[in-house]
Amino acid sequence: MAASAARGAMALRTNIGRPVAFVRKIPWTAASSELREHFAQFGHVRKCTVPFDKETGFHKGMGWIHFSSEEELHNALQQENHVIDGVKLHVQPQRPKALQGDQTSDEEKDF
Amino acid sequence: MAALLRSARWLLRATAAPYLPLSLRLLAGGPGRPHAALCLRAARARPVAGGLLSQARLHSIAAEKKNDLQEEPTSSHRRNASQFDWALMRLDNSVRRTGRIPKTLLQKVFDNTCHSGSPGGNQALLLLRSCGSLLPELKLSERTEFAHKIWDELQKLGTVYDVSHYNALLKVYLQNEHKFSPTDFLAKMEKGNVQPNRVTYQRLIAAYCNMGDIEGASTILGFMKTKDLPVTEAVFSALVTGHARSGDMENAENILTVMKEAGIEPGPDTYLALLNAYAEKGDIDHVKQTLEKVEKSDLYLMDRDLLQIILSFSKAGYPQYVPEILEKITYERRYIPDTMNLILLLVTEKLEDTALQILLACPISRESSLNDFGSFFLRHCVTVNTPPEQLRDYCKKLKEAQLHTSPLQFTLQCALVAQKFDLAKVLMKALKEEGFPIRTHYFWPLLVGHQKEKNVQGIVEVLKGMHEMGVTPDQETYVNYVFPSFDSIESVRAVLQENGCPHDDNVFSQAELRSKAVNGNLDYILSFMESNTLPFSFASLRGSLILGFRRSMNINLWSKITELLYKDGRYCQEPPGPTEAVGYFLYNLIDSMSDSEVQAKEEHLRQYFHQLKEMNVKIPENIYRGIRNLLDSYHVPELIKDVNILVEREKTDSRKTSKPSSSDLESKLEKLKAENQPIGDILKQLILMLCSEENMQKALELKAKYESDMVVGGYAALINLCCRHDNAEDALNLKREFDRLDSSAVLDTGKYVRLVKVLGKHGKLQDAINILKEMKEKDVLIKDATVLSFFHILNGAALRGETETVKQLHEAIVTLGLAKPSTTLSSPLVTLYLEKDDLPAALESTIDCYEKYKILPRIHDVLCKLIEKGETELIQKAMDFVSQEQGEMTMLYDLFFAFLQTGNYKEAKKIIETPGIRARPTRLQWFCDRCIANNQVETLEKLVELTQKLFECDRDQLYYSLLKLYNAFNIFLTAKKQNIVFDNEAYARLINLLLMKDNSTQAMQVKDFAETHIKGFTLNDAANSLLIITQVRRDYLKDALTTLKTALDLDQIPSRLAVTRLIQACALKGDTESVQDIQKLVNGLEDSIGLSRMVFINNIALAQIKNNNIDVAIESIENMLTSENQTVDPQYFGLAYLFRKVIEGQLEPALEKISIMVERLANQFAVYKPVTDLFLQLVDSGKVDDARALLQAPVMKSLLELIPELIDKEEAYSCLMKSYVFDSDVASAKALYESLTAKNVKLNDLFLKRYAVLLKNAGESVPFTEPPESFEFYAKQLKESKETHL
Repeated sequence: MAASAARGAMALRTNIGRPVAFVRKIPWTAASSELREHFAQFGHVRKCTVPFDKETGFHKGMGWIHFSSEEELHNALQQENHVIDGVKLHVQPQRPKALQGDQTSDEEKDF
Repeated sequence: MAALLRSARWLLRATAAPYLPLSLRLLAGGPGRPHAALCLRAARARPVAGGLLSQARLHSIAAEKKNDLQEEPTSSHRRNASQFDWALMRLDNSVRRTGRIPKTLLQKVFDNTCHSGSPGGNQALLLLRSCGSLLPELKLSERTEFAHKIWDELQKLGTVYDVSHYNALLKVYLQNEHKFSPTDFLAKMEKGNVQPNRVTYQRLIAAYCNMGDIEGASTILGFMKTKDLPVTEAVFSALVTGHARSGDMENAENILTVMKEAGIEPGPDTYLALLNAYAEKGDIDHVKQTLEKVEKSDLYLMDRDLLQIILSFSKAGYPQYVPEILEKITYERRYIPDTMNLILLLVTEKLEDTALQILLACPISRESSLNDFGSFFLRHCVTVNTPPEQLRDYCKKLKEAQLHTSPLQFTLQCALVAQKFDLAKVLMKALKEEGFPIRTHYFWPLLVGHQKEKNVQGIVEVLKGMHEMGVTPDQETYVNYVFPSFDSIESVRAVLQENGCPHDDNVFSQAELRSKAVNGNLDYILSFMESNTLPFSFASLRGSLILGFRRSMNINLWSKITELLYKDGRYCQEPPGPTEAVGYFLYNLIDSMSDSEVQAKEEHLRQYFHQLKEMNVKIPENIYRGIRNLLDSYHVPELIKDVNILVEREKTDSRKTSKPSSSDLESKLEKLKAENQPIGDILKQLILMLCSEENMQKALELKAKYESDMVVGGYAALINLCCRHDNAEDALNLKREFDRLDSSAVLDTGKYVRLVKVLGKHGKLQDAINILKEMKEKDVLIKDATVLSFFHILNGAALRGETETVKQLHEAIVTLGLAKPSTTLSSPLVTLYLEKDDLPAALESTIDCYEKYKILPRIHDVLCKLIEKGETELIQKAMDFVSQEQGEMTMLYDLFFAFLQTGNYKEAKKIIETPGIRARPTRLQWFCDRCIANNQVETLEKLVELTQKLFECDRDQLYYSLLKLYNAFNIFLTAKKQNIVFDNEAYARLINLLLMKDNSTQAMQVKDFAETHIKGFTLNDAANSLLIITQVRRDYLKDALTTLKTALDLDQIPSRLAVTRLIQACALKGDTESVQDIQKLVNGLEDSIGLSRMVFINNIALAQIKNNNIDVAIESIENMLTSENQTVDPQYFGLAYLFRKVIEGQLEPALEKISIMVERLANQFAVYKPVTDLFLQLVDSGKVDDARALLQAPVMKSLLELIPELIDKEEAYSCLMKSYVFDSDVASAKALYESLTAKNVKLNDLFLKRYAVLLKNAGESVPFTEPPESFEFYAKQLKESKETHL
């Protein structure tokens, strides 16, 4: 049972202070290399993931761009329009898991 | 009542629904003809085939039925009401938004309805009515088929049909132009004991009329007249159609006059029937004339009606007249769904050209918000297999008309989803011609489709298609989408070659390697890397290798692979070189693991680092620092020193110019000191360097030596170093010196936290609190990570049971305001008591937290434990408290979850059925997530089951959670049912998983299946070892032995535990042969497995003894211990296991012979280990007397030399005294007495009596009062006390 408390706490750690952009509405025609190519203009892309669903062979339209620095992430977020294959992407900073961790905790606020 | 109220709400919503054409028509009907008006609703039911149903219809379906419901509220109806609401809502939403229902949705609602047990009449009605024109995407025949399926299935489930159901079915027939015999239909109703009503007759007339059978229609009409049923506009409209279809247009027109004579003015429906009749004949002139006539009248035709005429023209083969009608359409926004549905219907009827014509005419499609409006058309064309070239042409037209921005890409996506390879190829070619790139992942959905069916030929075709398109499969393609369809990667290669499928060998090999790596097949990786000759990019393998490492946990393989990467010329040799590459790899490996994983694998990692050290693997210092920071953030700083040993120091030495070594610095320091020059800077540098080398001792010495020259930075580093080495004392002293040096200096947050941790751990609470105070005073930056560290500090202390530490530190952190109390941060306050099983205190502590901070940490865990222990009063107390503070609902949920968690489903059910309880999505989700995280399938299933009737509960979300948790075994079962066979690795992994979860039955099922379906099916080391253990536990020793052989044949190294278990089980069965077989099998592997030779000696002897070959066993042991060339040093010749088993098995004859043997070995051969083992085993199993008998003086003395601590055992010293008395050895007796009294051993009377008598006999004085009674008395007393003790 102590483990569950520790797990909750663990969620706090992940991604704190890592410059990651969360991208949605990626057209099906684009995959990680297209994304990487696009975001390279804002800085060094350390890692770019667009997970594919092995059941369908399509991705789910979401991806993560890991930049080297906060500044690069900031550059990317500054740009208003991100368009790949004629489709406008939604780009936002990756929400630190800390917030999510708190929301799913046992603490109830609906009374 | 609630259900009824809800129904009422539905009713309200239904009537309040916007744009009800129905009511418009009702108004249009006007007053004065109440009868006709009443029937209008039925009249608008459109006996015309293929009619488009209005959105309003569905609402009225519900509303009509609901009225009946209120009149006869039977209990079963009520029970189903909420289910019905849900289904209705889904269908209603769909109809409201789009005017149609997708087949999948209807199927889903149907399945759900069936699943609910006894579907009510309302649900049946709803489903049946959905099977007509609301399904424009389905062929007419398919719709009727669907309706029949629903009809039969629900009947089987006990649904009772009344006239409304029969009428609904009739309507579906009409809408779907289903040919049927009205008389048979009436017979069917009669058989079902259902009386037809006016609507039935009306629709039967329409059925006859649709077939052009005026005679049939007249018969029914006559029947209606005899029953005095009113003849409505609908009947007349049907007759218009009937005459027209029988070829009698004149009489069709005449019907309108007849109507007027009968006092019914022809309405839009009648005119529409006439218009459709002309359209079917291709008579555009009469259509136009009639339309003009309607325009002149006060009647009004809606877009929907005009669309109907278009449909009639198109279906009858007169598309040329479509534009003329299109012109008249107003394109009112509310008719867009109707237009779309007509387009879909036309596509379904293979009239795509007409459909496109309508689409292109649709002005709405050019609005910017709907810029890909044409998508629904393209998608449906793909579904109905419109020829590829034709579709390509449509794409072009849509693009030109700006109805779609990327029609080709969209259509391609649809083709891929639908697995239409030929179409996909045409579209890709078109894209390529237009200059768009064709990307590798475009082919993945196609591969997935074939993969599901294990269609190897299909996969080959796709790969060939890729080649045609000029796309080369990359590693991902092979690893994720090609390999899984084959039994082995070797067979992929063979099949590709056989089929002349071009592939890049290098990409392929690397994909193979990755695939093996991801599956944890490190043996393969090692041998590949050893024999590989191809150019090779380590970077591309890194990710997979890390996954493989984490999956395998075979540290020897980890090290060997790492060594190869480091040293072999083929890998990592290019700049920046192996040191960088391997260092980075280690960093990534640790980075990829979660902190709990690193914590759990701490020992493995330590072993790995040390093996690397032995292999002389080095990593650069900067990467080491990165790893150090990672380990720090994972709360395992204990591993830092183990990574530190890998840091490349020689290189640092060789680059003297840029960075001097610590010894250089030291000599320089001494030199400066000797010259009386300032040394502050260099001292700090040296201290920092020693800190980074983790050399605490040296650093502390240096500090002591040059204390006066120390600066703040040096102290900070030293403090941190001491904390890392768990050295609280020095850390604290250094901190004090640091403060004395500069009381305003501030450490960084991490160092403060580490100090608090170490001080707390060593009980220096006040000092820890002082540090916290200082953090507050000096306004140290508190980050999320800091709060997390506080939690870890408190939690660690709570787990160690350090009440004061937890309480005081928590108090200090909170009151100082360093962190806000939260369910996480404060949970250690409760954990403290939960760990000690002190439930009243745990509850008290939770409540206390609420009173102080308004949070209830770990209330769920507390409740679960209370329930488990049946602490009724405390549960009551907890519930009263929660109820009072947070409301009854929260309390009920707390209790519900606790009951579920503890498996008290009955109680949980009672709670959730409390009247008035409503769904709380966040709480339900919280519990779902918890179940998923803890892999509690049953609990989650129960949650889903019990919340079935919970008001406003989002079932989808719950099912989704359940699906997330359902284990792979269910997937296996489903796949098996569908005859899908996975590859070797998939099964192996599944078996491994099941064995680990202790699901051996399921594991065996999978294994049996895999063995019969995959030639040469094999498991990996870990799975085989688990399998052996399972087989042994289930007493399938033969099978276990076979598994062992198989594993060894595959050059696998089974685990020590597995082999030992098997040997022991065989031995206990007396199966000497098997034990010897195993010995031969693992010969030479003992060290890799980690088997001691004694395992075999013990167990062979045990097996022989079990077989009554006691003498053979004893002789062979004796021979081994006394022969010239001993295989095992007698000192390590441990027979404890054998002895224990013999004692436990009460094998008296064997025990006797063994006793004789060990005595003989001790007395004659001076081999004392066996006698010691036996002695200890006898004592352990309470056979004290036997143990004592074993220890006669000579043995005893030698024994004591061997194990001096034995003297403290009462049996031992008593025996010894007895033997000294026997030998009259006063000196030894004295020494014994003194050593025992010095140790404050409480001596028994018998011992004292013996010693006193010995002394007296020797003429010496007795230093204590001699026990007065006789030897026998004390012997008896001692024996009795021992017995009562036992």
